[in-house]
Amino acid sequence: MLKELRSIINTVLSNRDKKQVDEINESTDLRNDIGMDSLDLAELTVRIEAKYDVDIFKDDIVNTVGEIIKKIDK
Amino acid sequence: MDLFLRDRIKNAEITWPDLVTALNDSTRFNPYCRAHSYFQIFKDLFLSLILDNEIILLDSDFSENELVNLTGYTTFEKFDKQIKVPAIHSKRELIHLVFSNKKNWRLSLFTSGTTGHPKKISHDFKSITRLVKMSEKREENVWGLAYNPTHMAGVQVFFQAAMNGCSIVRLFGLSQDEVLEEIENYQVSHISSTPTFYRLLLPVHKKIESVKRLTSGGEKFKKGVLNELKNVFPNAKISNIYASTEAGALLESYGDTFEVKAVLEKYLRVKDNELLIHNSLIGFREKSEGWYSTGDLVEIVANNPLKFRFVSRKSSLINVGGYNVNPHEVEGIIEEIPGVSAARVYAKENSVLGNIICSEVVLKKKNLNEKEIRSTLQSKLQEYKIPRMINFVDKITTTRTGKISRIN
Repeated sequence: MLKELRSIINTVLSNRDKKQVDEINESTDLRNDIGMDSLDLAELTVRIEAKYDVDIFKDDIVNTVGEIIKKIDK
Repeated sequence: MDLFLRDRIKNAEITWPDLVTALNDSTRFNPYCRAHSYFQIFKDLFLSLILDNEIILLDSDFSENELVNLTGYTTFEKFDKQIKVPAIHSKRELIHLVFSNKKNWRLSLFTSGTTGHPKKISHDFKSITRLVKMSEKREENVWGLAYNPTHMAGVQVFFQAAMNGCSIVRLFGLSQDEVLEEIENYQVSHISSTPTFYRLLLPVHKKIESVKRLTSGGEKFKKGVLNELKNVFPNAKISNIYASTEAGALLESYGDTFEVKAVLEKYLRVKDNELLIHNSLIGFREKSEGWYSTGDLVEIVANNPLKFRFVSRKSSLINVGGYNVNPHEVEGIIEEIPGVSAARVYAKENSVLGNIICSEVVLKKKNLNEKEIRSTLQSKLQEYKIPRMINFVDKITTTRTGKISRIN
């Protein structure tokens, strides 16, 4: 799943002409490590929802890749 | 230190005496203000006030394309003029000067407009400072600026802070960690922002005591966020502001119900559930007779005095994290891209920003991809107006009446 998430994250980053990430792990922070802003997070939500049918931000804010995986696995 | 502005991105701390010196040293002024630097924007605002001259605020990220549509120009050098600033000796004197003699002063900015093209709106000093409160004890306040300074909400924060001689700390454009650091390091006491900003600030795993006042506007607050904010900022009073580019800041409330005070009673009314504002309160674009339709649908809670709640928007504007986007404008720009035959722009509900912009695009030949369209749009539109998702379709979805459908 990390690989798929990395590919989604990189799609969002490349759409904004931002630097893509080579590696992510569960503790990678979306905002502080990858540099996503609210527009990126919004786009990430839609793309993850399109693939996994889960709205990761529905109840609260997720900060790390590990938290996304937890939401998808629920 | 008598701090005027802290801007972490520029690594700058500018004091009020620094500001006074910079104003005294100014020899040129350009009414079209399109600066990246917050200090430059604020200095130009002060200069316009001192000189009693119009100032036109332009977002620093406007594309050339947007600039031409809005102003008719791409560069503004020819409006640059030589000025002579009267000698200012102190912060007191500067604030006093700001208040005196505002005959010609206008502040103009641009609104996405409800239909067609974006429009220029101008306000005079009275209408800009309508909700500004002044007192000596307010000088101690430290304002966190979490809005773009060239938008109406940012302008409101500037005036509230500057008129009282307060400090301003930039929070806009910073990461979550940086925002919290700045609030703590500079003991920010007042923050004004959108619910989306507060929501993205959470979770915060400590209590922040310095903040006494949180103001929000532009969208509805979700209950959960509100409760969590009360927890993180135990000393903060939380209020809502109703403001628009057209009318400036109008109303304030401590819940979701707005009460219309006696002074404004004559100027507000509700017709067919829509809030109307008398044209005399609206910037100079409109005539002073008649009523301006806000497009905001309200539910009346009580009459005499009038109390109401905001329910939704009537117009087709899409609220993206507190910023209004006109879908017609975005459609027009997408359709100008060579290879595109038609576009539909619509809102999709989003848990981060309330709504995001999405688009359906019909291509002439299948030779464009999403990334290419977005790259082209980046040079033509501000980032928040650009669709986050583009679906390529054979035909645009229309509603039964033949109108393009806006909700998905």
